[in-house]
Amino acid sequence: MNARAPGAPGTVGAADPPAGPVLGHVHAVMGTMVSFDVRVGDGDGNAARVGLARACARLDRADAVFSTWKPNSPMSLLRRNEITLGDAPAEMAEVLERCAVARDLSGGCFDPWRLPGGIDPTGLVKGWAADRALAELRAAGVRAAIVGAGGDLATFGGPEPGSPWRIGVRDPKAAGSLACVVASPGAVATSGCYERGHHVIDPRTGRPGTRCESATVTGPELWLADALATALLVAGEAGLAAIEAVEGYEGCVITAGGSLAMTGSFPITS
Amino acid sequence: MRRMPIVVAGTAAGLAAVLGFHTETMGTSLRSGLPGASGTAKTPAGAAGAGGGSSTTTTTPSSTPGSVSGSTSTTTTTPTGTRSALGADIQYRYGELELEVTVTGSRITNVQPVIDTAFDPRSSQVNSYAEPLLQSETLRAQSANISGVSGATFTSQAYVQSLQAALDKLGFK
Repeated sequence: MNARAPGAPGTVGAADPPAGPVLGHVHAVMGTMVSFDVRVGDGDGNAARVGLARACARLDRADAVFSTWKPNSPMSLLRRNEITLGDAPAEMAEVLERCAVARDLSGGCFDPWRLPGGIDPTGLVKGWAADRALAELRAAGVRAAIVGAGGDLATFGGPEPGSPWRIGVRDPKAAGSLACVVASPGAVATSGCYERGHHVIDPRTGRPGTRCESATVTGPELWLADALATALLVAGEAGLAAIEAVEGYEGCVITAGGSLAMTGSFPITS
Repeated sequence: MRRMPIVVAGTAAGLAAVLGFHTETMGTSLRSGLPGASGTAKTPAGAAGAGGGSSTTTTTPSSTPGSVSGSTSTTTTTPTGTRSALGADIQYRYGELELEVTVTGSRITNVQPVIDTAFDPRSSQVNSYAEPLLQSETLRAQSANISGVSGATFTSQAYVQSLQAALDKLGFK
């Protein structure tokens, strides 16, 4: 939790080159649409394209390894106890380790080991994969980028040098409206009842546990923001204290009554 | 902890942003689908690349439950007149969705579901409020000056897939 956000506002300075060409792309993977907004800056456009291809390959790889829909993915095999963790690709252990971190930080409100149907790290994998995709773009030397994975976003830089990405948070009760706008510190993740059409299961009780309409978590990295947003949806307002305790991460819940409750430094901009 | 009522009633640009992203526009800084790229964009989101010269569009087939057949097309012109096309019939986790899309020139002027079934009433309810999103001026993302939306819906992803397939048929960029 001590690592600074790849896209922390502080990394964007006046010395940055002016906004340059924009590279946009959508990749259908992991049961969702992953969108890319890449600002090439004065970097190499071809390098940016290579970075984009590598980013997509990262997402495909994550899907191949962690899909719970593909019956023969390593994740599915592990869920059926047909392989051991030692048999699985190396990133399996990495992701499960992060799942354990998220579980502990969330007080058990995010717990891939206590879900119906067996271990399911899906609530963290999408964000983790988006982080890795974003890292490929950074390595390619682009000035700024957003990787939007089905409503959860990993970002660095901003639309213009010196200004952070502004990300709208959907109002779960009003189609076409935003509940608020936040300045992304590197990751913005939102979980909502509207996303699944069903109440989320509280892993602490095994029963439906939703107490709010949607939950948003911001922070340096999406893997944790994604998992903590899932946890915050389960816990509702009472879960804000746990988010507040995680350095660099902030949370906001939209209550059933339609108001916003948030941690002290949630980066709301309007 | 802070509290406040919901005071911002901006535009959910998530779907529009996704559509805007569909076309790669290297070499031009004008992105109509991205409010952050140009505050003066006048064309609807989804028209990114129109007027931007050569553009290439690639739809990657999904390997997941909501899948749409892939297509690749290249265009250098923006067709005019009003045309309609059916999008792909998308099976998604909670139902089935097929859209008819009408474009006039470079604008999406109507989107109607042709098939819209959900496996349970709650999902149907979700559909009923998710789908009007793209039928309105909310396609334009400019109002809130945002670059992305957090909190997309599963339904809307099926929606975007079907819509994109229809736009591909129309050669709409």
